[in-house]
Amino acid sequence: MTDKIDYISREKFLAELMRYKKGSVSRRHFLGVTGLGLATSVLGAALPGLRGAARAEGSIGDRVVLASWPNYHDPANFDAFTAKTGALVDLNVFGSNEEMLAKLQAGGTGWDVFVPTNYTISTYVELGLIEPLDMSKIPNYDAAAFDPRFAGPGTIDGKIYAVSKDWGTTGMGTNTSHTNGAPLTSWKEFWDITRAEFSGRTTVHDYQLTTIGNALKYYGYSFNSVDPKELADAEKLLLDVKPHLFAITSDYQPAMRNGDAWLCMCWTGDGKQLNRDMPEIQYTLGKEGGEIWSDFYAVPVGAPHRDAGYALINDLLDPMVNMAETLFHGQPVADSRVNAMLSAERLADPILYPAAELLNALEFGAAQTLTNPDRAELMARFKSA
Amino acid sequence: MRIYALAVYLFLYIPIAIIALFSFNAGKAATQFTGFSVQWYGKALSNRFVVEAFQNSLTVALSSALLATLFGTLAALALQSVTGKWRAVFDALIYIAVMVPGIVIGIATLIALVTVFNWLNPILAALWPLAETAPQLQLGYGSLIAAHGLFSLALVIIIVRARISGMDRSLIEASADLGATPFGTFVQVTLPQIFPAILAGFLLAVTFSFDDFIIAFFVAGSKTTLPIYIFSSIRRGVTPEVNAIGSMVLTLSLTLLITAQAILQRGRKSDKA
Amino acid sequence: MLVLPLIVVFVFSFGARGPAGGYAPGFSLENFMNLGARWAAFKNTMVLAPVGTLACAVIAYPLAYFLALRVSAKRRTLLLILVIVPFWTSILIRSYAWIFILGGKGIPALIAWMGFGSIQLINTPFAVLVGIVYGYLPLMVFPIYVSLEQLDKRLLEASADLGCPPGRTFLSVTLPLSMPGVATGSMLVFILLMGEFLIPAMLGGGKVFFVGNALVDLFLQSRNWAFGSAVAVALVLIMLVTVTAYMRATRRWAGGRADVSLM
Repeated sequence: MTDKIDYISREKFLAELMRYKKGSVSRRHFLGVTGLGLATSVLGAALPGLRGAARAEGSIGDRVVLASWPNYHDPANFDAFTAKTGALVDLNVFGSNEEMLAKLQAGGTGWDVFVPTNYTISTYVELGLIEPLDMSKIPNYDAAAFDPRFAGPGTIDGKIYAVSKDWGTTGMGTNTSHTNGAPLTSWKEFWDITRAEFSGRTTVHDYQLTTIGNALKYYGYSFNSVDPKELADAEKLLLDVKPHLFAITSDYQPAMRNGDAWLCMCWTGDGKQLNRDMPEIQYTLGKEGGEIWSDFYAVPVGAPHRDAGYALINDLLDPMVNMAETLFHGQPVADSRVNAMLSAERLADPILYPAAELLNALEFGAAQTLTNPDRAELMARFKSA
Repeated sequence: MRIYALAVYLFLYIPIAIIALFSFNAGKAATQFTGFSVQWYGKALSNRFVVEAFQNSLTVALSSALLATLFGTLAALALQSVTGKWRAVFDALIYIAVMVPGIVIGIATLIALVTVFNWLNPILAALWPLAETAPQLQLGYGSLIAAHGLFSLALVIIIVRARISGMDRSLIEASADLGATPFGTFVQVTLPQIFPAILAGFLLAVTFSFDDFIIAFFVAGSKTTLPIYIFSSIRRGVTPEVNAIGSMVLTLSLTLLITAQAILQRGRKSDKA
Repeated sequence: MLVLPLIVVFVFSFGARGPAGGYAPGFSLENFMNLGARWAAFKNTMVLAPVGTLACAVIAYPLAYFLALRVSAKRRTLLLILVIVPFWTSILIRSYAWIFILGGKGIPALIAWMGFGSIQLINTPFAVLVGIVYGYLPLMVFPIYVSLEQLDKRLLEASADLGCPPGRTFLSVTLPLSMPGVATGSMLVFILLMGEFLIPAMLGGGKVFFVGNALVDLFLQSRNWAFGSAVAVALVLIMLVTVTAYMRATRRWAGGRADVSLM
């Protein structure tokens, strides 16, 4: 668009203006060709008073509200979206799926798009909280291009309720300058070192699925267990570990970066981001297993800026934009069109794409863990202990 | 003594100084100073969401304080004529209302509103000619103003009542004896006397609402107030924009405070003259 | 109107958790029987709220004394404004500044640099206590200042004229007469602290838990509204009992002289 501004001559501008006045071209054509569209949308973004004037046909409004996770989007892509559409992105950050569910259940969230994890989608559909997506508004989504292993949970009873954002694993990030260079490799080590040399230096997620799940892994139980006896064991471990934790938080990057924390329960992307900036922080999976997950974009029922929400999803699924996103947040994506553009080196990165034997031991979260009252109460007891 | 006071002031101001310092940071991190810049002030002021959150906070603070002051004053006046057993009951209720923590008020209002909405929304939808366009009751401005107003109401009642009980009753009797109507007495005698308390209650209510996070956190729905915006910015990873917002709010309130003080002092001088 | 939301909470506290969270009607005392599961949160609150109140009072009193009795009237206004000014920045931002000061690159780095070894301050009860004192100090300074300022200075002079040493004058005249201010300030701070959520959330790293944090968790994470309501009811009851007892005690102690009010 910018080159159009550069190259349009005075004569051409006037000619286009006359055509527009005569009604032979649409307003959108005129604005596009002359570069005024961009100018007005930028002005509109900067000066709220001009917003009304800047609205082109089929405008999606001036904003879109997105509920997502920490360190999960490249702000530059949002800026580009705003420049393209005039809609500013309001990003709300959450630390767990439970928190998102609680907000949606209470009603009136104002969200247009949110990012649920694979195992929660069936519950959202059951509770009538998300709408089947109008796929005609997301032309950038090409079902055939997506790995069904990660995109599949978005489809329920043949209807697409959520489209794949990315996928990843839940492992641990070790600052190896405190372990003579060797990262941890099992959840047993994770919980044991926290109660010994790393006392006061470990963070765990403020999120029942992973914190309880990885405590269950200490005993070799299933990550998704809701068995009362197994949960009781996990609770015992968690309560024993609690005094040795640095913090219970899903936003652990600041503490890891400034050296307050040495070990964190960690998602792929955070592991990649930390490792990129501080190579001594290494991301590994527990050899007992743990979680593999995939995240989605979904639209809540009653989204106030529904069109803008769809436009944002569509924009973020543009393979070029999605590639910029994955390079920024460091989670792998399920879109083969994006992967075809990535370097071989990137596709061989063991943080993003762990070895098959480690990957095979992982479990997807199960729907029952989201609504299971025992796990919810266990987490709450652990935190208030 | 002097050194002690100095130490306390240092304790109070070091964090403020740090906030102000980092608001001029050129870099993106809020904890590592990389150079001087005022860009974050520009960013904050041109951020649509910051401006809107500020407007929301102001609207909610002023309307909830206005409502609380109006109803609080009326209630305090009405309570004057209540005596005996009922008086004790009302006193106890106000006393409880003041003691309930903000967090419980937030939760209670949330539960009460969601329950009422769940009842009313289907009824509204059934009564509305076009079900598609039926209004949906939702959390938002209304619930924010209601919750804040409720919290401030008890405060206003207590402050105004303290003033009424300290009021010189003989003036009212004199006014009545001189043939003034009850309404005339109220406007010309009672109101001027309790006005400082009403004003104090109003200001307290505005301050409380403007700064409240926890109640708004529960009942704001899709509306964003300034504290909610700041809270989610901190969760997103703090940039000096948050520091800039904090410094601006501080400067603004400081200016208001000093202006108010100056006006009051002038008023006092003219009183003496 | 004032207590309507409380009634709803009271009713909900006898209900049950809905299948996907939220609330399902019912009547049982189960939620109250389970309160023991939040014992640690209640204990933390019941310890840190009074300790924080006491710390505020101890730190605020000398300052209020200084402002009321040792500073010229002209400078007093300015100094008083300076006490209230920090109160006007969002508590969120101020607590955030403390995360930096108490974090690994703040005071602990300074202590390590001076050669006293490494210590952790952030995410400890100490950090929460600092945040509490910082957040609520102005609320304590003002009532004490007011009571000291209203004090009849002639009493102090009389006491001195009668040969009473300054220390005794303070203990037997000034301190008792300023107790209403201390009582009012303490009550104010205590009530607000009992419902505190933000300071422990920000400076406690999810490890120092108040009842307020437990409530937020129950409503916004584990979605057990019924149990959350029971915790809220229990909190309000505890506050009613402690505050009433406290008011009785201060009234008796002040020999009926003091007019202790909430505001």
